[in-house]
Formats: sequence, C-alpha cells, structure tokens
Amino acid sequence: MQARTQSVWQRMLSVDRRWLYLILFVNIVIFLLAPLRMPASISPPVQKFYDEIEKLQPGDLVMISSNWSASTLAENQPQLEAVITHLMRKQARFTIISIEAQSRDISYRLAERVTKEKGYQYGEQWAHFGFVPNLVVAIKGMVTDLPNTIKQDVRGTEISKMPALRGVKSLSDYKVVIDVTPSGTVPAWISYSPKNLTILYCPTSVMAAEAYTYLDSGQIKGMITGAKGAQEYEQLLGIKGLGAPFANTISFSHLLIIAFILLGNFAMLMNRLQARREG
Amino acid sequence: MSYQHAQDNWFSAIIIGFIALAVLMNILRAQLGAQLYIRRIPGLDAIDEAIGRSTELGRPVTMIPGLTSFGVVAVQALTIFKYITKQIARFATPMRLLSGDPTVFAVAQEAIADAYNEAGRPDLYDPDNVRFLSDRQFAFASGVAGLIQRERVAANFMFGEFFAESLIFAETGNMVGAIQIAGTVSFTQVPFFVAACDYTIIGDEFYATSAYLSREPVLLGSLVGQDIAKLLFALTTLGGVIAASIAGTDAPIIKLLGQPGGWEAFWKSVLQGGGQ
Amino acid sequence: MVVLTNLMAQQTIWRLPEESRVLFATLIVAGAFVLILGLIPVLQTLPPRGRRAIVVTVTFLAGLFFAAEFFLPVDWTAIFPKDDPKRNFLTPAIQPAQNVLQIIGALALGLGTFGLVRLHLRNAVQRRAQWGYSIVLLVSFVVMAAFSILNTLAEKKIVERGPVLERGFAILFDHTLIQLDAAMFSLVAFYIFSAAYRAFRIRSVEASILMFTAMLVMIGVVPLGAQISPALPTIANWVLAQLNAPAQRAIEFGVGIGGLAMAIRLWLSLERGVT
Repeated sequence: MQARTQSVWQRMLSVDRRWLYLILFVNIVIFLLAPLRMPASISPPVQKFYDEIEKLQPGDLVMISSNWSASTLAENQPQLEAVITHLMRKQARFTIISIEAQSRDISYRLAERVTKEKGYQYGEQWAHFGFVPNLVVAIKGMVTDLPNTIKQDVRGTEISKMPALRGVKSLSDYKVVIDVTPSGTVPAWISYSPKNLTILYCPTSVMAAEAYTYLDSGQIKGMITGAKGAQEYEQLLGIKGLGAPFANTISFSHLLIIAFILLGNFAMLMNRLQARREG
Repeated sequence: MSYQHAQDNWFSAIIIGFIALAVLMNILRAQLGAQLYIRRIPGLDAIDEAIGRSTELGRPVTMIPGLTSFGVVAVQALTIFKYITKQIARFATPMRLLSGDPTVFAVAQEAIADAYNEAGRPDLYDPDNVRFLSDRQFAFASGVAGLIQRERVAANFMFGEFFAESLIFAETGNMVGAIQIAGTVSFTQVPFFVAACDYTIIGDEFYATSAYLSREPVLLGSLVGQDIAKLLFALTTLGGVIAASIAGTDAPIIKLLGQPGGWEAFWKSVLQGGGQ
Repeated sequence: MVVLTNLMAQQTIWRLPEESRVLFATLIVAGAFVLILGLIPVLQTLPPRGRRAIVVTVTFLAGLFFAAEFFLPVDWTAIFPKDDPKRNFLTPAIQPAQNVLQIIGALALGLGTFGLVRLHLRNAVQRRAQWGYSIVLLVSFVVMAAFSILNTLAEKKIVERGPVLERGFAILFDHTLIQLDAAMFSLVAFYIFSAAYRAFRIRSVEASILMFTAMLVMIGVVPLGAQISPALPTIANWVLAQLNAPAQRAIEFGVGIGGLAMAIRLWLSLERGVT
C-alpha cells in the first residue's frame, strides 16, 4: 500500500522549525542593516520617566541599580546610555550599584565611556559602588548608613572621601533611584527604600508586564521598556542611540511572527476542510 | 521612612496577622477532622501519566527547580519533586534533577535520597543524578538544554522560579517530544510555559500542589486558610471601591487606610473615631 | 537588664571590638568547630524524635528572630533614652545574620562546584559516554577561574596586571563569556517564534482570545504599529494597563498569600515535604 503524501497544508503545519529560525534570522539581519527608521509614539510610562528626570536640579543625587549582563545588552544598554546622558544634561550626580559581578564590569565600562564623551568626572560627579551580593541587605543598610554599608567604590576609594558623595549619609539623601534590570529587583526597592525616593524602572520587555501594577499604584513613577522604550527616550532627548535600530528590527520581527501565526491558522483551517471533503 | 518594620505600616502588619490566623485556625480545623474540599488541578493529575510514559519509553525524567534560590518556592518545588521521585522509584525510571542554585542542590540531594528510602528503593539512588550545573542563568540553560537533547527525556517537570531561560527549557523539551508539566510563581514566564508545555500550573496553584498530592490535613487546612485570606482581600478591595465612590478619595477614613503612617496614626484614628 | 538592652541597641554586642578583632574572630570560629564536632555524636545518639525536637526548636528560634525584629516597636527612647528611635534592639543583628546566610550560600556554592567537578572528573577518567565534553568543562573551569582570580587580585593591586593577564581575561570574558551569554539569550527569540507558530491556533474560544490579544499587543508596542494606525499603541497600552495589570495583581495576591502560608508552615515545622 502506498503511503499517503502530505498535503501542502499538512506540510505547513509540520514545518521543520529550522526553516522558521532561518526565516527569522534573515528578517532580523535585513532590517538591522537596512537604513529604514521609524519614529516611535511616546508611551505614557516613558513620558512620565522623562518628566521625573526633568524635575531634577543640578547636584541632585540619583542611584542607578544596574543588574544586567551581556545577555540583555540589546535592551538594557541603550536604556542605560540614554538615562546617563539625560542625567548629565541635568547635571545630576549619580552612583551606580550592581548585584552581579558581570553587570558591575559592564555598567562600569559603559558609564566610563559615556561620561568621558561628555566630560563628566569620576569621583566628582559620578561613582560606581561596585558589586553587592544581596540587594535587600544592601538597601536596608544604605537606608540607615550608606558610607558604612558600601564603604568603598569600585576603585577602592572610601565613599566618605569622594566629592560626589559629600554629605551623603543615607539613601534618603537621594532623589531618584533608577533600576535597570532584566530580573525582578524593583519590588526590593519599592519595599525597602525611603518613601521620599522616586523609583523609575528600566526593565526588559519580558519583565515590563509585571510592572504595570506598580505604575498604576504610583509606586513606580515611570518606565522605559526594552529597546522600544529606549528608542522613545532617545527621541525625547533628541539623541541617536541603539534603541532606534533595535526597535525597528523588533517591529518587523513581530510582523513576521504575526504573519506566520495567521498562516498557521489558515493552514489548520484548510487542512480541516480538506479532511472533511475527503471523508 | 521606609517600610522596614511593622510600625511603619500598621495596615500590612494587621493583614499579615489575619492571614496567619486564618491559616493556623484552618490547620487546626483540619487536624480535628473537618473534611476539606480541593478542586481538580489537571496538571497535577497528569504527573502519573507523564511518569508512566517515561517508563514505557525507557527514557529519563528531568526535574528542574530553575534558578530558585533557597526559600519557600524552592522548598515547595522540592516537595513536589520528592513526590515525583517516589512514583519514579516504583518503576525504576531513570531521573535527573538539575539545579541552578547550590543551596537547593545540597537540599535536593538529601530530599531525593529520602524519597528513594521512603519508597523502599535506596539502591536506585545515584548522587550523580542530582546535579548542580551553574548559577549563571544561561550557562544553566545551556546545560539543561544540552542534557534534554542528548538524553531525549520523555518527561520534563519544571517547578520553581524561572526567568528568561524558561522558554529554552520548554521548547527544547518540546523538540524531543517530552511531556512537560510546569508550575511557577513567576508571572512573566507563564505565557511561555502555556505555549510550550502540556500543562501549566499558575500562581498559587503551585503552593496548592503539595496539599493536592498528599491530601494531608495540615496542608489542606492551610490551603483553606489561604482562600479565606484571598476572600478578605477581595472584600477589602470591593469595600474600598464602594467607600471611595461614596465618600471620595479625600475622606479621612480612605486616607487612613490608603496611607498608613505607623502605629501612632492608627491609635489616634481609633481613639478619635475616624481618621486624621 | 537596662545595660544589656542599651548595649544591644547600640550595636556593641553585635560587633567585635576593634582592637582584638582577629583574636575574637579566631575564638568564635574555633568555638563553632568544637560545638559542631561535639554536637554531631550527640545528634547521632539521640533517637529520631529527639533529633526532630532539636531541628524544630532551632527552626522556630531562627524564624522568631526575624519575625520579632519586624513586629517589635522601634521607638524605645521613652524607656532607654540613649536608644536610636529608628530601630529596636534586634535590628543591628539583622546585618550579621544576613552575612551568616551569605557565607552559608558561598559554602553551598563550593559544595555544588565540588559535585560538578567530581562528576566530570569521573566521566573523564572512566571514559564514560561523551567524556570529551567533560574534559572541555574541566579545562574551561580551571582556566576561567585562574584568570578571574588573578584579575581580581590585579584590581586590588595585589598582583601586577601583565599583558598576558590583560589579554587572556579580555578574550575569556569580553570575547567569549559575554558573547556566549548573549547568544544563549538570543535563542529565546527563535524559540518564541516556533512556540507562537505552534501554539497560537484557533482551537477554542479562550485560545482565540489569547491569540488575537497577543497579536494586537505585539503590533501595538512596536513603532510599526503606530505607523499602521495611531489606535494600535493606545489599544496595546490599554490591554497592558487595564487587562494585564488587574489579572496579574490577582495572581500576585494569591502567590503572596501562598508564600506567607508556606513560610508559616515551615517556621512552625508543620510542613513535612522536604524534611
């Protein structure tokens, strides 16, 4: 007995996933390299984020919690670059803290590069606190006594001796904390940081969904979501960064996925009709 | 002021007290013989089916607690894995437990050894089947994906806290044709598990699993206490919506409940009878 | 009693004296060793019920410490005028307690690493299946550990940062580890594609709602959506803020309550799962 050949619809439904991966790969490469650029519509969370930073006065202190590593570089790097650029524009002082060894190195090097380009001095206007193994313990410690909790910066200088941190006794001396992270660290900031501190959030797109409850209740005042949020923020700042090209690539990848979902459903429908016709 | 102590947020402290009371009272009720009902959770009913399929195919079962650091989520995950191991021990099905946290790994070794002992098959326990791969997220993910592919696992159980690596596990398991049951408290990973797994256990169903599988009175009672606490939350929300709609959000009682300011504010409001 | 609580409130009792810190630390570590070595035979001779009683007591006291620190009032200046009004007498002990937990975690990491290395060494020595990969793991482990430790020592100026160390660490960290990390995460994008193609089918009413909502949000959150129609970003934001957020809140309530109930059961040793 001859084996039944698969119909085109059945072949579409059982397509080898490697073909799908190849199509997506080609799609990403084409639109990453293509000079096509689309403006973004500014979403309310990004606008709120921008407005909060705009309220800062020169010399105000900002804490940046940077916990991302190479894996989420495409989403978190444009966010951090745009945020640091905005803070420098407002002449705010900022410190960076990390809960991961890799993120310590990555954020330190990124901040060094971005601040050097704009003439910001390490130790005078910004500092990096290095790596802390436990965020909750660190936050609780910084709320009571920051210099004794952190003790030294990433270069080994005592915190109490740094001009950027002159007069700083605790986290209450800060105005804003910005959490740039691919993991769920923002609840720790919400729970344990002083209530006068404004919390702003820069998550990856996957983590953004669970932040809407905090946005709604006002516990987070603004949010930049992934590469697309970075593109919106760059647009507000009027700068060119990595957010725009990445967000455009994501646009066409989403379009491709939607097209294939519709195709898959169409194939399923046609397959059912064919099966019914054949008896 | 931050919420570091109960005194900073009396409302939360009272809520915690009420939840604890509800749980303990219902545990007592259950221990005194009350018959408590728990609804069917399809994903948990499928555990035995998955193990049976593994045994027929002669391919291993993998259990993954994810990157959960040691805490209540990890303990719950290990409780579930202990149950699964006892079932596996009956059929001598090969198993692998892959951990991304060293403390969880240390406890898992003891838990799995205990499970085999309790099932009467201590000879089947192989310490090399409980492995710590890496605490780095994607090193762990690549280790797990590689093992699933090489050993062509037939059943994959993922219970615990997961992050971006969840889809890597689930899709790799799907590629090799494994039956997959996932349970997580990580809200953001639920869609990936729903898309790639056969059964997904969401939210507090994860905590209900040990009660469902063991039917122990203490656990059933605790579950009923949790549900009563949830009912309280729902009624409080409804009450707050109605009160705010009638009195407006500037009313003293709404402000008192909405902006806790410590024990002083609370006692003042009680003594003054209405808030500040 | 007043002196003791004042001492505890001022943190003196939780910190070693500055002058003889090394001596006290040595004594404490030695004492801990003696205690544990003495405790093991005692625990082994005890019947199972006795051992369980000790475990239950220690668990309860450990949990009681954190619960008491949270619930005890903080302002005791009416009774102890020298006290800090922002904390109670247990608060200064939280940091040392957390430090102890971190040290236990670090020890567990050593245990896990030992288990991993032992497994792969055995695979390599006994030439078990795929032992070549075990060799790769062991060599990578040793090389990466060596360069990382030297790099950290160089950062603290304990060793000199030579060109070999600089170049080697750059190759291993910047050009290998970081790129592999990013590559693994990028797999998620491809897996999402195949999972979505397979899973988003009109099989039931719920599945259809899931599919159409997902497609709306997917196109609404990207710049292309705004180009197609200004309504798409609005709809996507509405779905995220008004549908996703309440559903998530409900799930988080359940998870939080479940976690609290489980913590209570563990604290009171009512949970018999793992132990």
